[in-house]
Amino acid sequence: MFAWFRTDIIVEYMPLFLRGLWTTLALTAIGIFFGTILGLLLGMGKIAQAEHGPWRWPLRLFIKTPSQIYISFFRGTPLFVQILLIHFALVPLLIHPDSGLLFSGDTALYLKREHGALLSGALALSLNSAAYIAEIFRAGIQSIDRGQTEAARSLGLNYYQTMKHIVIPQAFRRMLPPLGNEAITLLKDSSLVSAIGLAELSYAARTAAGAYARYWEPYLFISLIYLIITMGMSYIVHRLERKYQSA
Amino acid sequence: MKNRWLLLATIPLLLISCTKKEDTSLRTQPIPSELVVGTDAAYAPFESENADKSVEGFDIDIIHAVADRAGFKIKIVNTPWEGLFSQLASGDRDILISAITINSERKKVMDFSEPYFEAVQLIALPVKSKVTKFVELKDLKVGVQTGTTGDEVISDLLGKTNPNIKRFEGTPLALQELVNGGVDAVVADNGVIDNFLANNAKTFKTVADPSFSKEHYGIAVKKGNSELLKKINDALQALKKDGTYQKIHSKYFGKK
Repeated sequence: MFAWFRTDIIVEYMPLFLRGLWTTLALTAIGIFFGTILGLLLGMGKIAQAEHGPWRWPLRLFIKTPSQIYISFFRGTPLFVQILLIHFALVPLLIHPDSGLLFSGDTALYLKREHGALLSGALALSLNSAAYIAEIFRAGIQSIDRGQTEAARSLGLNYYQTMKHIVIPQAFRRMLPPLGNEAITLLKDSSLVSAIGLAELSYAARTAAGAYARYWEPYLFISLIYLIITMGMSYIVHRLERKYQSA
Repeated sequence: MKNRWLLLATIPLLLISCTKKEDTSLRTQPIPSELVVGTDAAYAPFESENADKSVEGFDIDIIHAVADRAGFKIKIVNTPWEGLFSQLASGDRDILISAITINSERKKVMDFSEPYFEAVQLIALPVKSKVTKFVELKDLKVGVQTGTTGDEVISDLLGKTNPNIKRFEGTPLALQELVNGGVDAVVADNGVIDNFLANNAKTFKTVADPSFSKEHYGIAVKKGNSELLKKINDALQALKKDGTYQKIHSKYFGKK
């Protein structure tokens, strides 16, 4: 039945597949890590407001509006376009041997040569997932009853303490399922960075397919790998949910 | 009970969707008199898309001339390189012309016309680079387009799964990566590299390595379609005889 399936292609490119798998997992982890940090800040920034007092306008102008613009941009444009924009336009502007704004000269040369695509790919995925995670945080925070905040503030906790000890811990429980979904989405979307020559899982499949003009074997193989990982992730998220629900 | 009604309600929907499908397939039946030509139009000057979305280039002029001479109608469809060969095999495309180098690996899955263009691989390097020979790329990062001749020669030198090979969907993307310093060199067909240089002067230099053998581009048809192949070959010969080929050639590559 599977006589047509040429396993030799998979075997030959196995090193590339394994390295690609590692890169895919690393990209996802980096994206979730930085995306969560940045997303938390953005999510809080989007709902930051002061009813009265001198902070009212600066807060709106420098924190709330930029957060909203950022989130709209990264949720409203295709990730694929963001990846190309960051890799071929933004990163060369920041890191360039002759005229880099952040790094230039030999440092830039080294960075671009050794880690160019990985830098851009990780940056794009982090920035993109930050926008989605920000929305998850915003929804989570807003879902906590106002009375909780009011009670904490009247006990004398300041805004920061209220967030840290009262609101975020409660919100986190509600945010777990969508955060898990975001992690799974990010893993799948990481396949798009193959376009900038970063050797992750789908790049390995593309290479094998390009060399032999055969499409079933490589793409079916990586589909299975992706499927195994995403199912594993679903299971972990499910377990975490049960753990925190009973607490 | 409720579920059963739901199921029953979906059956007509399914039927409708099925009939819809049939309609479209009937309408998209290719007209036999018109052959579909696949080309990856990101390979100037051989084939590229101009501003109004039509495909132009050396290959396109050639295939139009061939079709006129052989007396069949063609429709050019822009197809990504990575899916090109499988679409020919599956019958979605009748002819491929896309700066395709004739080689034994490809001959297994398609039939080629007589060569219509001679090409050679070039190495594109940063202006300051000290590389003079292909062998010196051994420890460097090299950009190529997936599945091209450049990909093959560098795979032979470095090993297929070497992480130093950076593969891109298109040669222009690989060259852009070179300009940005992401790779140390790019190996690709001379026509495309020269064209990139013509539009982005002095961004890098090129080295021709004598070890690269001359290659020939061919027009590809589905394996075993000898009738069409003969038509194409006869037309190509006629074009070379009456000077039409030369005219097209000098239009894109100057007098040689």
